[in-house]
Amino acid sequence: MAAVGKTMAYGHSESGGGRGGFLGARVPAEVEAMARAVRDVDKETFRRLLKVTVNALEGKDCKESVKLIAESTNLSEEQLAFLISGMYTLLREALRLPLSTFKQEVFKEDLKELRIPEDFIADFSSIVFGNRRPVSEGTAQRSRLPSVQDFKWRVDVAISTSSLARALQPSILMLLKLSDGTAHRFEVPVAKFQELRYNVALILKEMNDLEKRSILKIQD
Amino acid sequence: MAAPIVPETESIRKAVSLLNAVAAGRFPRLLSRLLQKLHLKAESSFSEEEEEKLQVAFSLEKQDLHLVLETISFILEQAVYHNLKPAALQQQLQSIHLDQDKAEAFASAWAAAGQDTIEKFRQRVLTPQKLETIGWQLNLQMAESMQAKLKSPRAVLELGVSNEDSKNLKKVFAEFSHQELFEFYNKLETIQAQLDSLT
Repeated sequence: MAAVGKTMAYGHSESGGGRGGFLGARVPAEVEAMARAVRDVDKETFRRLLKVTVNALEGKDCKESVKLIAESTNLSEEQLAFLISGMYTLLREALRLPLSTFKQEVFKEDLKELRIPEDFIADFSSIVFGNRRPVSEGTAQRSRLPSVQDFKWRVDVAISTSSLARALQPSILMLLKLSDGTAHRFEVPVAKFQELRYNVALILKEMNDLEKRSILKIQD
Repeated sequence: MAAPIVPETESIRKAVSLLNAVAAGRFPRLLSRLLQKLHLKAESSFSEEEEEKLQVAFSLEKQDLHLVLETISFILEQAVYHNLKPAALQQQLQSIHLDQDKAEAFASAWAAAGQDTIEKFRQRVLTPQKLETIGWQLNLQMAESMQAKLKSPRAVLELGVSNEDSKNLKKVFAEFSHQELFEFYNKLETIQAQLDSLT
C-alpha cells in the first residue's frame, strides 16, 4: 500500500515541522485523502468513523457498523472508504511507535501540518495517548515463534529395569506446552540436562551483556 | 553358591559344546565385538557377509553359528543384569562346563569392557522420545509489523527430540524474552537441586 513511502522515510526524525513527521517524508495517499475529506464531516459522524476504525485496529468485524454509517449519512461509499482507510493508517502508524519516545505534542503538530481540524486532532490524540488506546489482540505475537506456556517436569530414579537388576539411574521427564497448542513430552538424560542448563545460562549471560552495550543506549 | 546365572538348558548345553569345539584364536575379538553392540536393541551385530566369514572361521553351520552368537549375547546380558564381577562370570561359565580357556576369555573381555557396557545400558530410556540436541540463537529484535523501535533481545531455543520409531529428529522451537528465559532457567535450577539431593 503506502509501504513504499514508509520504508524510505523511516528513521527520520519524528519531530514535525515541514516534511517529515511520524508518517514519514511521503504521507500515505489515503491519509492525505482522508485529511482533505474529513474537513467536511460533522463531529458526530467523525466520532462514529473513529469508533469503527478503532474496532478494526483491535481486529473486530466492522461490516455492520460501516453499513449503518453509510445509511445514515450522505457520504458515498468511496468517501467512506477514503475516510476509514486514512484514519486506520494514521492510527496504526502512530500506535507502532513506543510512547517513551513519541510525544503527544509532536503527534498534534504533525496532524496540524496535514490540516486536520483541531477537534479531530484532539480525538485522534486521545486514542493514541489516552487510556482508550486499542489493544491489538496480540498481533505482535503472531510474528513470533511459539513461547513456552507451561513447563512440567519430574525426576525419576530407575531402581531396576529389565536389563539391570540394580540400575539406580536418575532421569528427567519434561512436558513442554507451547503457545501454539503443541505439547512435547520427552526424556532428558542427565548429561543432556546439564548441557541444556549450561546453554540457557550462557544465553542469559549474553543477553545481559547485550543489554549493557551501547547499541541499546542509542536514543531514538 | 547363588542360583546359577546361566541355566543349563538343552540349547545352552549344545551351545557350550559348540563353543568348546571352536578355535580359540578369534574368540576374544568376537566377544568384544558383541559387547560393543549389546546395548543396541534391534541391530544384529553382524552383517550377512560377516556372518559368512564367521561361519568359515569357526567352521560352523549357519544355524549353529546363530545359536552360538545368541548364547554368548545371552550370557553377556546376564552379566550386565547382575553386574557380575569377572571372576564370578568365569566361575559361572566353568560350572556349565565351558572350557577354562574360553571362560577366561569371557572374563578378560568382561573385565575390559564390562563397566562401559553396563553404563550404556543404564543410559537406555524407555520413553520413545528423548532429547538429543540443543541449539540456540540470540537475536535483537528491532521491529515488527505492529511495533517499531523495539530493541528487544530474544532467544530462540531449538531442541532436537528423537523418536524411537522414526529416524528423524523432531525440532522443537521456542522463543523467549529475557524474563521468560530467566523463569525457565529458575525451573532448571530447581530440577538441578533435586538431582543434587539424590547423591
